[in-house]
Amino acid sequence: MLASPNDTICLNNLNQLSILFRKMPITQRHIELIFFKAYANLRSEAARTYLSFMWWIIDPILSMAVYYVVFALLFQRGTQDYVPFLLIGLITWQWFTNTINHGMTTIQGNTKLMNQVHLPKVVFPSIVIVMDTFKFSIVFLLVLLFLWVYGFDVGVAYLALPLILGVQFLLTTALTYLLAAIIPFLPDFQFLVKTTLRLIFFLTGIFFEGSKIPPKYQSYFYANPMATLIEDYRNVLMHNMWPDWQALGIICLYSAIGLYGAYRLIGRFDYVYPRVIMQ
Amino acid sequence: MSVANIDNNMVISLRNVAFHFWLKKSLFRKERFAALKDISFDLFHGESLGIIGRNGAGKTTLLRLLGGIIRPDKGTLINNGVKTSLLSLQVGFDPQLSGLYNAILSGMLLGFTKKEIEDKLYDIVKFAELEEFIDQPVRTYSSGMRARLGFSIAFHLDPDVLLIDEVLAVGDADFKKKSLAVMKEKIQSNKTIVLVSHSSGTIRQLCNRAVWIEEGITRAEGDTEDVLHVYEEFLRTFKHY
Repeated sequence: MLASPNDTICLNNLNQLSILFRKMPITQRHIELIFFKAYANLRSEAARTYLSFMWWIIDPILSMAVYYVVFALLFQRGTQDYVPFLLIGLITWQWFTNTINHGMTTIQGNTKLMNQVHLPKVVFPSIVIVMDTFKFSIVFLLVLLFLWVYGFDVGVAYLALPLILGVQFLLTTALTYLLAAIIPFLPDFQFLVKTTLRLIFFLTGIFFEGSKIPPKYQSYFYANPMATLIEDYRNVLMHNMWPDWQALGIICLYSAIGLYGAYRLIGRFDYVYPRVIMQ
Repeated sequence: MSVANIDNNMVISLRNVAFHFWLKKSLFRKERFAALKDISFDLFHGESLGIIGRNGAGKTTLLRLLGGIIRPDKGTLINNGVKTSLLSLQVGFDPQLSGLYNAILSGMLLGFTKKEIEDKLYDIVKFAELEEFIDQPVRTYSSGMRARLGFSIAFHLDPDVLLIDEVLAVGDADFKKKSLAVMKEKIQSNKTIVLVSHSSGTIRQLCNRAVWIEEGITRAEGDTEDVLHVYEEFLRTFKHY
């Protein structure tokens, strides 16, 4: 871009130029925007229904009820403490899948806005991540309350809980950023992602224990990071057992690398998105 | 056109700027569309620069370029560290939220901090004449009320360089008069403004300098009268064909 001789006169402005037109890093102002927009969206969502934010709680309970009826009552597949078992698997899975499903189309979906004002595009998926994480944290606290009432005690292993939550947050954010970065170029991909997520849902061990799988398939089963994470949650919350540290470390490492890559990718295409999408 | 000298008053400078985008035709086929081919001009502090050209000349793309939304493919665009902003009305409005929330949100999207907007909130609401309704959701507003709020936000939150695309007056008849009046006042003040229009009347009335763009190429830059003269001449000969 800086090629013609006319530019030499403006060398002292190069720095400002690069700040304004090249890097556009996330600043304090953008972080403020992400959180305020997430807060405003949550309010707006709540205003759309009569029961408003109660739906964030009712919705997971209803889906839990559906799976309980199907698996515990109809198929008689329920094991001991099946309700807490199912609940832990479902809500953590829903945090994962909701964030990805909502977040992956955010860059593609904000064409109008990004042609009116310049924003680092990473702001768009971040808003959804904050929203879904907030909803999850309410539901998660309620599930913890339920577990204590049900009779599970708080054990030492609870110390590992923030770590597991953190790793899942990292994993979810990395995947959401990555898909949000790609989908403006390949809009058809979003349907494939939705179907794949539904498939993985049945393979993640939300209704069954990983140990019940034939040994020769176990390595495939645990190649899915969500299967490992959900098992870790259950071990901590129900059995006061420590998580699988090694697996957790590997997921954390890959997620961190993926997150960095996806963040850079979105930054790289910052000025390409308004062009790709406007037609 | 001469090469710009070192001029402290220069805020933005464009040299041989080109920009294209792709029109998707099918999965494997896309068509290249050159919106801007060769644009050069300077914008100086405190002036009102009019950009004139027929529909499809690339005026809107040029505004986006000046607003920092897109970057040129070729050529250089030098910004001397000024904050530019398109005069966008009702940016990011959410009908479910109150006018107050929308004002803050819209302002934050336009590049201001929450604090900066809150300091001006009183003026924004007062100018829009929405004191009684500001806590109501925007979905209950009439389109005129919405337009008033949108205009008031954009008008009160001032970037260094304001980029305006045609629209100057919004809302019902009374507010139209009021918004046009304050806009004119702002344009004629010491504010740096770029105004895009296809009408020579608007540019003649409001701008001290003008640039004429035709098919993505700068055809003339200079005093409003001179530029408009060649533009109108062009239109006349063009109509003969």
